[in-house]
Amino acid sequence: MEKNGRNNSVKSDLGSKRRTQRIGEQLRRVYDEVAQEDVPDEFLRLLEEADKARPSSTSDKS
Amino acid sequence: MTDNTEKLSDVDFKRELAALIPHLRAFARSLCGDATLADDLAQDAMLKAWNARASFQAGTNMKAWAFTILRNVFYSEKRRSWRRTPLDPEVAEATLVSNSNPSDTLDLLAMRNALGRLPIDQREALILVGAGGLPYEEAAEICGVAVGTIKSRVSRARKAVVEILESNGAGYSDDSNMRAEDAFNDIMRQADDIAGVG
Repeated sequence: MEKNGRNNSVKSDLGSKRRTQRIGEQLRRVYDEVAQEDVPDEFLRLLEEADKARPSSTSDKS
Repeated sequence: MTDNTEKLSDVDFKRELAALIPHLRAFARSLCGDATLADDLAQDAMLKAWNARASFQAGTNMKAWAFTILRNVFYSEKRRSWRRTPLDPEVAEATLVSNSNPSDTLDLLAMRNALGRLPIDQREALILVGAGGLPYEEAAEICGVAVGTIKSRVSRARKAVVEILESNGAGYSDDSNMRAEDAFNDIMRQADDIAGVG
């Protein structure tokens, strides 16, 4: 009986392993879908503007 | 890697910060749900990070540092309705139209929905650890709580997600054999492996 139980669970482990990977992938892809999008130009533009707007401490090397 | 000055030059800082923008956007999106609000939040966080660059120590984890800033902005500026913006299924759908595989899209939609229905503290924990792949320690640092707290939030979050997915059945109708609980335990083990925990 213990043997049967073990066999069954091995079998369903195989099935659930695939499902597991699928759910894990989906969870990561919810994040990656956005992370892999092209960054809208506005972000880099804002960053450049902020960089240029800083008080003229051009001599940064200390 | 780190030299003895502990500061990055502005040029290096800007380059590293720019490289993090995709992650800021992804984290913001998962907090807000709404894509426009999320980009607004991510931009604000990016500029705050830039302005705070003097407080960043070279050689430390800029991603965790920037995520902490983003999270602070998210929680402090309630007036901008970033908080508790429910994830609108139609909005989520619109963000996924580019996906070529319809059943994939459905699955992702279901997952996004499930995440959107979690309490925010659980959602951010699961996103950081399960989706973003951050170690528990880093997630704890970002959220300003103990590692054990993050672990328990992730654990509660994954149970809730399983319940939501199972009650909806959306995208999972062919998974009658799946023990979702086992599935998520496994996911978290994978996350631990990646993080080098346990």
